[in-house]
Amino acid sequence: MSAAATTSPIRAVELIDGIVRPTKRDEAWRYAPHRELGELTFGPTGSVVVDLPADLVAQIPALDGPRIVIINGAVDRARSDLATPDGVYLRSLADATESQPDLVNHQGDRAGVVDAFTAYNLAYATDGAVIVVDVGVDVAAPIHVVDITAPGSVTNSSSSRVIIDVGAGSSVTVIESRLGVGTEFGGSNVRTTVALGDDATLEHVVLQDLPAQQVHLSRVEVAQGERSTLRTRSFNLGASYGRLAYHVELAGAGAHAELSGLFFGDGEQILDQQITVVHRAKDCTSRQLFRGVLDDASTGVFNGGIDVCPGADGTDAEQSNDNLLLSNRAEVNTQPRLEILADEVACKHGATVGQLDDTALYYLRSRGINAEEARRLLINGFADEVVDDVSIEAVRNWITRRLGHDHD
Amino acid sequence: MLHVENLTAAIGDKQILKGLNLDVGAGEVHAIMGPNGSGKSTFAHALAGRDGYEIGGTVTLDGVDLLDMTPEARAAAGIFMGFQYPVEIPGVNNMYFLRTALNSVRRARGETEIGARDFLAVAKEAMELVEMKQDFLDRAVNAGFSGGEKKRNEILQMAVMQPRLAVLDETDSGLDIDALRIIAGGVNALRGPERSMIVITHYQRLLDYITPDFVHVLVDGRIVQSGDRTLALHLEDHGYADFVDADLNDAPERPLAGAPSRR
Repeated sequence: MSAAATTSPIRAVELIDGIVRPTKRDEAWRYAPHRELGELTFGPTGSVVVDLPADLVAQIPALDGPRIVIINGAVDRARSDLATPDGVYLRSLADATESQPDLVNHQGDRAGVVDAFTAYNLAYATDGAVIVVDVGVDVAAPIHVVDITAPGSVTNSSSSRVIIDVGAGSSVTVIESRLGVGTEFGGSNVRTTVALGDDATLEHVVLQDLPAQQVHLSRVEVAQGERSTLRTRSFNLGASYGRLAYHVELAGAGAHAELSGLFFGDGEQILDQQITVVHRAKDCTSRQLFRGVLDDASTGVFNGGIDVCPGADGTDAEQSNDNLLLSNRAEVNTQPRLEILADEVACKHGATVGQLDDTALYYLRSRGINAEEARRLLINGFADEVVDDVSIEAVRNWITRRLGHDHD
Repeated sequence: MLHVENLTAAIGDKQILKGLNLDVGAGEVHAIMGPNGSGKSTFAHALAGRDGYEIGGTVTLDGVDLLDMTPEARAAAGIFMGFQYPVEIPGVNNMYFLRTALNSVRRARGETEIGARDFLAVAKEAMELVEMKQDFLDRAVNAGFSGGEKKRNEILQMAVMQPRLAVLDETDSGLDIDALRIIAGGVNALRGPERSMIVITHYQRLLDYITPDFVHVLVDGRIVQSGDRTLALHLEDHGYADFVDADLNDAPERPLAGAPSRR
């Protein structure tokens, strides 16, 4: 947890040398499309795309509050609104690194390099968002981080960083929208590092909706202080391969982490959730609740880990993954990983895979609702259990519109 | 209004309905009673259009053939089935479900859809009928409802849908006396000269609350006797033994043995 030096292209070369991309033999990358991943090219931050197509602009969730827009790995100040209430600091990573390096606590920079793509990120993500909340501040409006990739001619993939530091006793909501432009092959590689002080609360939402030709790689790392509360909600919707990895360290006693997520795929999408919650301290609780809806020939992956370290007595951890397969070509791969090295531990996990309930469909149709609408109602009802976990109404509305249903 | 002629239903090799005939006139309430396994629920599902049965014969509503219609088209034509086991649908809001259902049939009939505010008035009136509170509408359809709440929700739906023909399948099963009174009250309030009902029940108890115009006994896939409500009283005293072949005696239990006596 040292304040490591920031990144530079020189260190990039150093890092990139000897990087081996993951293969199918790596458990965490087993279902990834390795040929496509091999075609992603990373490099120093590219130029800001000046014109964003109207359909992309319309796709960005409309939220009241501070907003930082990152395009191809560089903050676009013109499209951002960095004004924040007292006690909240919101800057581009490039600015923060320049002007107030002490604020930028690159926690676990090296420790978080667990594979080739986190290494690429450390090497090339020289810009992004830095959010720091002072001690004892309740931030009312959500902070919106919009990350847009527009595959260019030099490299087809963007790299960015998001750093969130929530002071003791403070609470804040951060929404990260991950989007893309165009129909070219490419992708984005975003790494978010979070430090939650004692008694701090963070709701962190990821909305992944890149175009179908692109790849999205995300890793969110969280270190939690005593009695802190983390609520992550991830919506893995777009991209040909959407990978949302979470690594949560419950480092302070009595901390609570709730991770919920929805992956909703069609076509030939692969939507991959790689979750690890590490119980390091006593009396921490964690909940993982992930739902998958998979149509056509799409693939869902839930690889959910609970690690209970020696001494983390009083751990209470639960995990569930429920899946709905809408086509006989769709598949889901769900795998719990439990490693328990402490006493007095309550650990529960469960997974289900099912299809739409014929009796429920018939029930709805007997009320005059046509077959297609009945199907949609059931699917959305299943998905809404996760959507309802999001506290910001505008975000819930964005998701329900994206999923093709509007309750009003 | 409803005309059923020589209706047959089978699942695979198993013949369940073996030539059922029934005519229900406008405004009439018909009770169908019968032992377990006689085909009562299959008859209800055959009217509502459930998949999975091989169906033969004729069913028309106001002269329109129902058998080729989807369940949703039958609902638009005016059929409503109250389920013996209402289905829990987590995540689907009861109010939204009710409005979607009502607007679906209105759309199918070429009528204008009803807006959220106007619908609330419709729903409120229906809720009073079955003594339901507002929070019922805010919950997911039947999810976590008690047995009685589920059945009240069925009658609530019926009150909202205002069907031509309601088919109530074992609406009384699993109800205590208070819930039964509420549900029967709702059903009675919905009786009218233009609305017919088929009330399917194992026990005569329900018919103390909902007085039928006709009672039919269904045994082994056929209606074997029809009469007025005194037939139900006869069944209470004698069970179905009179109507069941001697060699079938080991199949249905004596169904009325534990039933409460009529007041």
